[in-house]
Formats: sequence, structure tokens, C-alpha cells
Amino acid sequence: MRSLFLVMALFCCAGCTVKAVGDPNRPITINAHITIDIKGLEKAASGIEDFVSGTATSK
Amino acid sequence: MKKMLALSVMMMCAASIAFAQAAYDLKEMTPVVKSALEDRKTRFGDLKSLKAEGKVGENNRGYVQALEGGADVKALVAAENKDRKVVYEAIVDQNGLDASALATVETVFARVQRDKADHGEKVQDEAGNWN
Repeated sequence: MRSLFLVMALFCCAGCTVKAVGDPNRPITINAHITIDIKGLEKAASGIEDFVSGTATSK
Repeated sequence: MKKMLALSVMMMCAASIAFAQAAYDLKEMTPVVKSALEDRKTRFGDLKSLKAEGKVGENNRGYVQALEGGADVKALVAAENKDRKVVYEAIVDQNGLDASALATVETVFARVQRDKADHGEKVQDEAGNWN
């Protein structure tokens, strides 16, 4: 049981760790690509347009 | 032990899905955003009439476009587009999206406008054709 939680904790930490290897005096640039949830955005857009058209009463 | 492991995996999957499905919205109703939405609401009827007459259409970039008509139509279109941009930019800002996401937000709103358009209203498809 304890080992399971240890493995889980290690797994979570591993997912959050960024390891930079190279010259410490040389800056590195990490380009982060954020994926947009299109379905979520569509839902928000639909709600806003429903409010504007009067189909939905509150925003 | 196996049940615990399965349960843990399920919980991790559920957490991953929750993180993946971001809930975008206007999280803060600032005075500027509120004004933009209220103004859009007020002009909705006029805009709908112009759309029915074929003078205004929904383009594929999330904005209305004057297709016919004079200065009054153009003024209404300009005001509407200004307010739409306020809303789109607020979504980007308030949801922590990168500035480059504005184009995606605009495209998604264009798609929603196409879906909500009534029969006979002019809409521009993704390829740029007016229907």
C-alpha cells in the first residue's frame, strides 16, 4: 500500500519536472505549446451568443 | 491490491481528463466586457434584420461584414465588430491563453455563428465562399 503511493507520488513528480542539461551560462528557450480545447471554447462561444440573442437570459 | 491499483489508475485518468477539458468563459464581467455584451444585445435585432435582407453576413473570422448598404450599415457593422473583439480578447486574457490564441477564438466564434445562422442568412465558410 505504502509502496503504491510512493510510486504514484514519483509518477506525479516525474510529470512535473523539467530537466535542463547544458551550459548553465547559456540561456535556453522553451517554447510552450498550449493546446486549446476547441469543444470547450465552442461551448463558451455558444453560451455568449445565446446571451446576446436573448436565447439565454444570463451570462 | 489489484483493486487499489485499478482505482488509482482510474483516478489519475479522471484527473487528466479534468485538466484536458478546460472550461473557457468570461470569468470576470469587467465594465468594458459588460458594456460590449449589452451593446451587442441592443443591436442584435437591427443586425438580424440586415442579415435577413442580405446586407450583412457572418464572415469566417468571427466578425460581421457589410455586403450591401450604405454608411449606416457600415457603422453598425463597425460597432458590432469592435464589441466582438472586446469579448474575444477578454476570453483570451481571462483564460490565460496566449495572444496567438485570438485567431483560434475568432475562428471558433465564426463556426458558432454559422451554426446559429437562420436559413437565408449569408455566412462565409472556412474556404472563404459566401453561402
